[in-house]
Amino acid sequence: MDTMELGVMQETTQIIVIQLGEEQYGVDIKFIDNIVKMQHITRVPKVPEYLKGVINLRGEVIPVMSVRLKMGLPVDEINKDTRIIILKLDTHGSIGIIIDQVKEVVTLDSEQIEKVSYDGKDERVNYIYGIGKYEGGLISLLDFNAVLAE
Amino acid sequence: MDVSQYLEIFLDETKEHLQSLNTQILNLEHSPEDADTINEIFRAAHSLKGMAGTMGYKRMQALTHEMENAFTEIRNGTLKIKSNMIDAIFQAIDALEEYLNNIQEDADEGTNDNEPLIKLFQEILAGGGKEEAPAKKTKGTKKKATKAEKQEKWSEIVLGDTEMNVLAVAKKQDKNVYGITVKIQDSCLLKAARAFLVFKAVEDLGEVVVSEPSTQDIEDEKFDTTFSLIVITEYPVAKIIEAAESVSEIEAVTGGDLEIDMSVLGEDEDANGLITTGNALATTGGGGSQGGAQQEKKVSRPVANRTVRVDIEKLDVLMNLVSELIIAKNSLVSASGNEESSDRNSGVNEQIEYLESVTTNLHESVMKVRMVPIESVVNKFPRMIRDLSKKLGKKIELYMSGEETELDRTVVDEIGDPLMHLLRNAADHGLEETADRIRSGKPEVGSIFLDAYQEGNNVVIEVRDDGAGVDIEAVKRKAVERGIISFDQGENMSEKDIVDLLFHAGFSTAKVVSDVSGRGVGLDVVKSKIEALSGEVEVKSIRGEGSTWIVRLPLTLAIIQALMVTVGDEKYALSLGSIQTIEDVKPADIKFVQASEVINLRGTVIPIIRMNEILDNESKKSPEDDMIVVIVKKGEKMAGLIVDELMGQQEIVIKSLGKYISKCKFISGATILGDGEVALILDANVLI
Repeated sequence: MDTMELGVMQETTQIIVIQLGEEQYGVDIKFIDNIVKMQHITRVPKVPEYLKGVINLRGEVIPVMSVRLKMGLPVDEINKDTRIIILKLDTHGSIGIIIDQVKEVVTLDSEQIEKVSYDGKDERVNYIYGIGKYEGGLISLLDFNAVLAE
Repeated sequence: MDVSQYLEIFLDETKEHLQSLNTQILNLEHSPEDADTINEIFRAAHSLKGMAGTMGYKRMQALTHEMENAFTEIRNGTLKIKSNMIDAIFQAIDALEEYLNNIQEDADEGTNDNEPLIKLFQEILAGGGKEEAPAKKTKGTKKKATKAEKQEKWSEIVLGDTEMNVLAVAKKQDKNVYGITVKIQDSCLLKAARAFLVFKAVEDLGEVVVSEPSTQDIEDEKFDTTFSLIVITEYPVAKIIEAAESVSEIEAVTGGDLEIDMSVLGEDEDANGLITTGNALATTGGGGSQGGAQQEKKVSRPVANRTVRVDIEKLDVLMNLVSELIIAKNSLVSASGNEESSDRNSGVNEQIEYLESVTTNLHESVMKVRMVPIESVVNKFPRMIRDLSKKLGKKIELYMSGEETELDRTVVDEIGDPLMHLLRNAADHGLEETADRIRSGKPEVGSIFLDAYQEGNNVVIEVRDDGAGVDIEAVKRKAVERGIISFDQGENMSEKDIVDLLFHAGFSTAKVVSDVSGRGVGLDVVKSKIEALSGEVEVKSIRGEGSTWIVRLPLTLAIIQALMVTVGDEKYALSLGSIQTIEDVKPADIKFVQASEVINLRGTVIPIIRMNEILDNESKKSPEDDMIVVIVKKGEKMAGLIVDELMGQQEIVIKSLGKYISKCKFISGATILGDGEVALILDANVLI
């Protein structure tokens, strides 16, 4: 939620645009600690399917989740473009999310972000807090409180 | 003088002194005549007074001053210890602790003058038959006592053969041999420095042959306020004394001729070493027995270690760096293992082995730095039990052993509360009322034992009482009443399971809720606290004979020796501490007991756990192959874990799985292997 407020207060927000399936999503750059290539993930037993396991990031053990599985999309296809974005969040600590591709960094001002309200129909809408309009394209801005909620 | 920078040291040292007072006064209660204890108390009270005075805490100083006075009288034998005195002293310690707490909070001692207490002390002193003002009288007697002591001092020095010889030779050359004893003022802060100046002054005039205590001890300030020297000089004794007295803060110097048995020399020239030894001992003024007594006294005095106080956070940083180093070392090991062995490689391997031993030692040393004896925690318990005993009206004796057992500093800091709770529980619920004890033919005084010892990679702390034991039926009834279990469940539960219900949240069987224990919160908190420290607690109880609470804590938290195993194509680590043995078992040896698989290992029936099933993983071995079974032990329970392969032993650094994945109970953490891969650590304690 504070993402939204900050977005309003600040003139502009820097967004990393990522590809997940057919759609483009946006991640606020202030949450991103690092972006690493896909690597071996150690499976952890007895956890929900979307939690793929843990990786070693410079000596720290970081849990990794599949956003696709969490959002009800088809299983990840791992290829050379697949990346793990390491997020640093106050509530959950460090966590990695697997995404199909990192496209670009864009700067949006607050007018270009349209808030969406929960309507319960489309499950995917639950995971975004806003839509960014950019050069005619639309970016769904991910709400990590919802994505990471259990 | 700005003393704020010393505040922390003051707080630490005051705490130590108060703790030592508590312990010593408990000793005193048992043996009121023990001179060592009285001296120790006097010394602690004296240091407290001095420190409080230096820091400008007047009220604290006033109170300790009264305590010191009282103990001066006791030390001189003019005042006998009575139980009302012990109580008064305990009250005084409590009052001092209160001052200390105030100081800790806002660097101010507060406004409580504790007049009634001071008055009480003065009354006690007056009751001892003093007509003069107690403080004044004290001073007089003290001085007299020290003077009498002083004259003896230098003549008591025990001389060795060589020293005896040197002195005899000097005497033969018509030099003077003197013994002198120097007393430094009580208020002197830099005793070692003063002593050094005295040495220097004396050495300008002659040669110091022997000193008591040794020069090393004097340098380390391991002496009270007096020290003695034996000097060879051409000057008269008065000149030596004058030189020593010229050093400031010296209270008094006494000295005189040292009698030397010249026969030592003669006999030694006859090369008759054996007799010499006997003579030398006999000539040393005080004689053998006196020397021996002094020696003994020296031993009983605590040896002050050379220590540095270090911020625990700095140690944590150091620890993390060592962890990183070990990970880096592990990757080197696996990198060198991957290549084809060649001549060039053998040199590398040698160096890697060397690096390995250095990192292991480094790790152990850093770990050791973080280890502190549990003494600092358990020391307050005797006092607590004494107070509880009065409060509950039960006669209780606490026996402690293994106070020197060491644990990681972080664990020691946390373990105090749970242990205190277990002790209170034992005193309140465990031990019966005195009348009941007499009726059941037990000794009137209830005993509580606190034993600490190391067991493998764990430290075990047992709290045992010889009370009534756990009333299984009462626990069962209560559990049903509280809706924790159903009646039917209760009927089918084993005794052990019922006893374990005591750890259930909101469970208290005491019929009367006392303010000692039993407010509904308790054992469940103890359990969760100990589990938070990666430890465990269990209880054994025999009705009528007592209960034992067993707390097991890991020795270290960060780096462990582990056995690496594979299950399917995944690697896992098992703490070596919980592993008993590793067995090869034929599939045919697996038997079924109550529909679960067991093996019979040398007469013991051990349930087995197929790790691939637990881990939702495919085993790579065919069912006909022999199985590798890792036998793990938790307390008295054992289990056999079936794994695919053993990879060997490795030192691993425990990392948390992160906040987000904490659901998996039997995974206690993760570690990073040499190749950078993450392996999970299996918690055998949960699997059993």
